[in-house]
Amino acid sequence: MEVLREKVEEEEAAEREEAAEQAEHAEKMERMVRLAEVSKEERILTQDELRDLEKKMMAVEIPIPAERPIINKAIIDVSKLPPSYTTNSPKEEHLLQVADNFSRQYSHLCPDRVPLFLYPLNECEVPKFVSTTLRPTLMPYPELYNWDSCAQFVSDFLTMVPLLDPLKPVVKKKEKVSPKKYAVKPPRDLTSRFEQEQEDKRQQEIQALEKKRLREEEEHLLEAEKSKPDPLHGLRVHSWVLVLAGKREVPECFFIDPLTARSYSTKDDHFLGIESLWNHRNYWVNMQDCWNCCKDLVFDLGDPVRWEYMLLGSDKPYLSLTEDYDEGMDNDDDVEYLGKEDEDKSFDMPPSWVAQIEITPEEFETRCPNGKKVIQYKRAQVEKWAPYLNNNGLVCRLTTYEDLQCTKGLEIKEWYQNREDMLELRHINRTTGLHVDYFKPGHPQALQVHSYKSMLPEMDRVMEFYEMAREDGLIKREETPMTMTEYYGGRSDFLSYRHINFGPRIKKLTQNSAESNPRPMVKITERFSRNPEKPADEDVAERVFLITEERIQLRYHCRDDYITASKREFLRRTEVDSKGNKINMTPDMCISFEVEPMEHTKKLLYQYKTMIHLKNEEKLSRHQAWESELEVLEILKLREEEEAAHTLTISIYDTKRNEKSKEYREAMERVLHEEHLQQVETQLDYLAPFLAQLSPGEKLTRWQAVRLKDECLSDFKQRLIDKANLIQARFEKETQELQKKQQWYQENQVTLSPEDEDLYLSYCSQAMFRIRILEQRLNRHKEMAPLKYLALEEKLYKDPRLVEFLKVFV
Amino acid sequence: MSWPYDSMQLKVMDDNMLKVAVGEQGPQEEAGRLAKQEDILFKDVLSLQLDFQNILHIDNLWQFENLQKLQLNNNIIERIEGLENLTHLVWLDLSFNNIEAIEGLDTLVNLEDLSLSNNRISKIDSLDALVKLQVLSLGNNQIGNIMNVIYLRQFTCLQTLSLAGNPIAEAEDYKMFIYAYLPDLVYLDFRHIDEQAAKVAKIKHQYNIDELKHREAQMQAQLEDEQGQREKLAEHKLAFIEHLDGSFLFESLYAEDMEGNKLSYLPGVGEFLEAYKDKFVIICLNIFEYGLKQQEKRKIELDTFNECMQEAILENQEQGKLKVAKFEERHLQCLNAIREETELSNIEKKLIECSDDINELFNMLMMLEMQLVEQLEETINMFERNITDLVGLFVENVQSLMAQCRDLENHHHEKVLETAINYLEKILKGEMDKDLPDDVRALFVDKDTIVNAVGASHDIHLLKIDNREDELVTGINSWCTHLVDKIHKDEIMRNRKRVKEITQYIGHMQSELDNLECGDIID
Repeated sequence: MEVLREKVEEEEAAEREEAAEQAEHAEKMERMVRLAEVSKEERILTQDELRDLEKKMMAVEIPIPAERPIINKAIIDVSKLPPSYTTNSPKEEHLLQVADNFSRQYSHLCPDRVPLFLYPLNECEVPKFVSTTLRPTLMPYPELYNWDSCAQFVSDFLTMVPLLDPLKPVVKKKEKVSPKKYAVKPPRDLTSRFEQEQEDKRQQEIQALEKKRLREEEEHLLEAEKSKPDPLHGLRVHSWVLVLAGKREVPECFFIDPLTARSYSTKDDHFLGIESLWNHRNYWVNMQDCWNCCKDLVFDLGDPVRWEYMLLGSDKPYLSLTEDYDEGMDNDDDVEYLGKEDEDKSFDMPPSWVAQIEITPEEFETRCPNGKKVIQYKRAQVEKWAPYLNNNGLVCRLTTYEDLQCTKGLEIKEWYQNREDMLELRHINRTTGLHVDYFKPGHPQALQVHSYKSMLPEMDRVMEFYEMAREDGLIKREETPMTMTEYYGGRSDFLSYRHINFGPRIKKLTQNSAESNPRPMVKITERFSRNPEKPADEDVAERVFLITEERIQLRYHCRDDYITASKREFLRRTEVDSKGNKINMTPDMCISFEVEPMEHTKKLLYQYKTMIHLKNEEKLSRHQAWESELEVLEILKLREEEEAAHTLTISIYDTKRNEKSKEYREAMERVLHEEHLQQVETQLDYLAPFLAQLSPGEKLTRWQAVRLKDECLSDFKQRLIDKANLIQARFEKETQELQKKQQWYQENQVTLSPEDEDLYLSYCSQAMFRIRILEQRLNRHKEMAPLKYLALEEKLYKDPRLVEFLKVFV
Repeated sequence: MSWPYDSMQLKVMDDNMLKVAVGEQGPQEEAGRLAKQEDILFKDVLSLQLDFQNILHIDNLWQFENLQKLQLNNNIIERIEGLENLTHLVWLDLSFNNIEAIEGLDTLVNLEDLSLSNNRISKIDSLDALVKLQVLSLGNNQIGNIMNVIYLRQFTCLQTLSLAGNPIAEAEDYKMFIYAYLPDLVYLDFRHIDEQAAKVAKIKHQYNIDELKHREAQMQAQLEDEQGQREKLAEHKLAFIEHLDGSFLFESLYAEDMEGNKLSYLPGVGEFLEAYKDKFVIICLNIFEYGLKQQEKRKIELDTFNECMQEAILENQEQGKLKVAKFEERHLQCLNAIREETELSNIEKKLIECSDDINELFNMLMMLEMQLVEQLEETINMFERNITDLVGLFVENVQSLMAQCRDLENHHHEKVLETAINYLEKILKGEMDKDLPDDVRALFVDKDTIVNAVGASHDIHLLKIDNREDELVTGINSWCTHLVDKIHKDEIMRNRKRVKEITQYIGHMQSELDNLECGDIID
């Protein structure tokens, strides 16, 4: 990869660069120039090469044209930077001279070309050669290992460029099946081909006209929107990254724009030409003609005719690197490795002067400076936040606008993370007022998608559920003010669909608001999937309860080789006439059509039984519909509560945020630490200094053991006495001082200022305190000393090294 | 039995009695009124209770085809009979009768619960057909042989058994024996079987049971083996090459050939015969392999054909369904509009529209059907051609292989003849007169006799080969004709069924519309 500098497009990009730099500095990030290079001959990639490339990729930087004031001194505290920032080593000085020489020769030979970008001033206003601003660094984040995610991070760090994640539609590819041997021929097409053609022609003409009109309109619009041609076209400078083909399975060279993290082919129209390119080892000037953008450039850096190198030592990047990379497999010591490489290959290139990049996990997670970033696009705006920054879990918001000035909002998409209610994405259509909430699995009501215009019940709304999560198998529930449609799956009663039509609410005379007044149901339609255990003629496919008309319609499933299905309709009109509950079943109450007429179904008894059964079913269905309404209310209430609370979940693995685990961990650490201290104490060997007096390897004799013990004890006694003396001495000293002070005070009492008096009093109280403490310590020592002495004696008797010899005396 | 049934009037199970029972036990209230009004058919009855009726003979039950539960307890029945038609029976109670032997249950394959307690049964048997049996109640009978229980091992679903009150139940070992021999049993004599006791019983009878199990396993294996062989043979028969995978045909050549067998004693003929047999068997195997391959080919051909037919029919059906569904939607709207319309002239106009709609649907559906018929006919003809070709080819190749067999036979015949004549000459010269059996020697009287004998053997062989070939050829040809006939017939049936369906549907729609018209006029 090379960072290239050259004149291309976009002044703004450069400006953004600057802004980003500043932000970066604010983050105490060292700016470094970097460049990883991939050389072509490496066909086999070793772990090291990958790591090496990784290192190179890590070192991110932006070269700045020298003529521009780069550094905002107010932001960077120059004094805290290491000396390499402020001074040049002799080697660097030498290099600068070489570069200066090169530059002069170049401007002499190519007077038409822009001066080379060789040694810009760094933040401390010291000229530095561009290659030395690159420092390959390996970062501990796996995301930064590959160029795409790495570039994404860099672009986030520099300026906010989110890659949109549009929900791509899954394109089903229909496989073309080869015709089978006995496949029937398609029926003959008897329609007139001529007429068809005429019709097609007419349609095409209409379409063409329509298209033309649309195109014109579009062009019109485009023209209006098109900004004026750039007066500085071809003059702007920009720098970006070039990845050379070869290593790590990179098949061909490509560009990466560090500000957008997008890769471009080297043939891309946006890149008008290359002035020079460099990595951490060398600097090359492009000698090829860029009349056709970068399309004809050959990126063979070993070709001195096309690429004029600056340093002779590493002029063959394509040939000389192989052996080095093949050696030292799995080299863990990156620094050493780097050093060796520098030594071998670019003896003239001094080591990089920049400090190593350090990215803390917090910074890595935050990505953007302060965890927030706003990117403006044409007719759209993206806002990004770090996780947990917003207390409602919002991490990204995309707003699209109708006009270029971004005043009329069209759509808002909000992405959430770590929400306890599992809300993942909210899509708000400003024009229609439609809200669509998407949930991850795990919502208490198994909600998957919820689209609504208002949170009030009995309005247009669609709720989709995670299919397997619900006991009743509900998949989807659609509501309009007058209907409710439910879709089910995987039920044991094979119900797949229920549609309820409501009538207008009847006003109740009693104005008791606590009592619910459900809308009357007019019609319930239920559909069932095929129950393979029943014959098709007895398996109901659809049943419709026309509640107000008192009719029940049944449609059965279609038999396997039939095209019509049995139907049956029950009329209950007669029930009204009879008094009370008695129903007189008559043959005209049931109208049926049977595909294959059966004997038993003709019977009134059968029909009567079916009807009674259906009446019960109707009651059940009405009850279920009523329960569904209640459930909607419940879900809406729950959603409102969740929305109000918007609690965030914290993973148990998130050690930073999980308070409980943090406390627990700290407690554990404390316990461990205490245990460790105790252990150290117990391990303190009281015999060690005495044993050391004996010559090593010598065996203890009884006499020696006894002497050892005595010495140890006497030593300890001495120490106790010393300690007592010390405390005593301090006590006396304090007492004396206090007495002196008191004396002094009594002498000068009259002349003293109130401040001095205050001082004296506070001194007195402090001294008294100290004396009291010392007194206590002394007393305690006196109490404890004999006990400690005895304890040591006991211990010595039990000491495994002495126990043999001392046993006798016990 | 203790009660004095002699003093009571015996009843005969006649229509009246059954009708009364059905009426009493049938639906009640409104449903009962309807039932009475319509007369309940015996075949619709699912459950029948005929207890305490003093019935002597079971009779007149043949109409209760769908009966699932029958209670005949507390009668004086002496024989189980007249239950043959009640194949759906699940629950049968014959307790408290005078039955002496279990019989007449061979058709009740769905029976799960059988109660025969308080009878005079002395032996458990004739229950083989009752594969679903779960509960068997045989309490208070005369069963005296404990080994009789082993018969119940074959009922894998049997969970509940009661044998209390039988002579065997008095035996000391009774419970242990049953626990051990019927390990799947859950309840014995209405008590749950203790697992611990079952374990103890099992250990106690371990040896006998193992032996029994071994025998059962052997029987099972033998059965499976036979089954496998039968299946294989059936498969070969399908390919018309049964018994060709070995020397079966060759052996059949000599099975009825007395002379041939005699001639094989001649020196040298044995070797010819061996070589002949080897070659012959190889050809047979060739035929066999070829036949299997051809069978596979025919099967694939047929499968593809069936699949394509099914697909075409299904697609057509889908189209039809769609048309019907669309029509119904429109028709419903139309009918509703007519109902709401008040102006008579408008009603009439709409009725005509509706009727036109129905006609149009009819035409459309019929057109679809005709289209399908045409398509299928073409396909069927193509298949017919192909399958006939395939069969023809098979027959041809088999015939050529058979011809090879005949050649071999001819060759063999010549050799045998030559040897025989040579031998005859030697005999006539009196040279070789050793260890020939008498009946073989009888052939070597003169040249005619021996030539005739050899010729007869040859003829028999050729006849056998011809027969086998004919069998194969006729078999495959008749299969082919049957298949094609069946396909044609099925297609015709399908067509008729569909046309009938369409007309029926259209008729219903039309009559519905007519009814509406009438109703309107009345209104």
